[in-house]
Amino acid sequence: MRSLLAAGLLLIAGVASAQEGFPLDGTWRGERPAAGSTAVTIVLVLEWDGQKIAGVINPGPKSIPLQDMQLIPDGWKVTLAAKDAAGNTISFEGTIADLGSYHRYIDGAWQEGGKTYKVRFVHE
Amino acid sequence: MNRATSVAGLAVLILLAVGCQKQASEKDDASNAAPRYPDGVLRLDRAPGEKGYWDSPSELSLAEEGAKVEFDASGKLRQTADAAKVAPLQPWALALYLYRQANEMKDDPMRSCIGPGNPRAMQTPGGVRIIQDRNLNRAYVLFGGGNHGWRVIYLDGRDPPSPDEVTATFYGLAVGRWEGDTLVAESIGFNTRFWFSNGGLPHTEGLKLTERFTRPSHDVLHYEVTIDDPRTYTRTWKASWNLKWVPGDIPEKYCEDDRE
Repeated sequence: MRSLLAAGLLLIAGVASAQEGFPLDGTWRGERPAAGSTAVTIVLVLEWDGQKIAGVINPGPKSIPLQDMQLIPDGWKVTLAAKDAAGNTISFEGTIADLGSYHRYIDGAWQEGGKTYKVRFVHE
Repeated sequence: MNRATSVAGLAVLILLAVGCQKQASEKDDASNAAPRYPDGVLRLDRAPGEKGYWDSPSELSLAEEGAKVEFDASGKLRQTADAAKVAPLQPWALALYLYRQANEMKDDPMRSCIGPGNPRAMQTPGGVRIIQDRNLNRAYVLFGGGNHGWRVIYLDGRDPPSPDEVTATFYGLAVGRWEGDTLVAESIGFNTRFWFSNGGLPHTEGLKLTERFTRPSHDVLHYEVTIDDPRTYTRTWKASWNLKWVPGDIPEKYCEDDRE
């Protein structure tokens, strides 16, 4: 029983450690600073269809569809552009790091409301 | 003995020799023929009373048929510059393949005993069996390599599944049929938790495989796979290799992280 449990844990650890498929596919979570010491969570849900990267920012009733998202394989650069419901521009430029890991991340600059924030998105 | 008699004698000897050779050759052909069920359907596994399995794939890494590239046993390219020849990769997929190659495939999920998935399982040393269950109209493919996975090919005439209704797995959902002596299996519904080849060729959940299993002789299984993943590759492409019949049972072994 104990060995079965250990094997199961190994399996879970293995699944969680590997990167597979299109590097941006899936859910990414990051935080940007807000007023005081609080932070605003930003969730990206992305999917590659073979031609373009589709997705939304913060899925739910107030989700924001992506206008454009690009992955530049040379250097694994990422760019994102969107407009919120009020028509304000949102953009992000970053670089994927730890590409071989399931929990790879993108460090970059998130621009929203005329301000720029350093944000790290981690793949979930 | 005149000359005519000598020539006639020589001709008889030649005919006898040819006849013996033909008889021996026919006998060899018969003993090397692929086994069949009484109704003539090809057996892709053992005949009754026999022990054996498929192993020793003639190609150890996946590459498009006709591509002039060389790998080592781990799937590492001898020449990195050949990466684009391996398969018609989209730019992101080529970059990821090169990244994995440069990293000596250290992130390969199989190093953590994750299954090889398909079609890599057919290139993973350790043994393969294809058991035809003719009562339930399906074939089970059992793998001795990797984490000893298995898959089912449904042969009951069902329609291929809708991609939206398939839970993604390592081997996908396969529906098959016989075309003469060839078992044709079409699979969709793959997850992306495995590497498509030991060298690190990527794939997405859009992957569709068409596999063709034939047994040209008792000792040879010919495997051909057509890869259709428009999210990863610029066009469909094909690869094929042979597996050899090995007498005996699939050796028992256990998978542990980073070693087997």
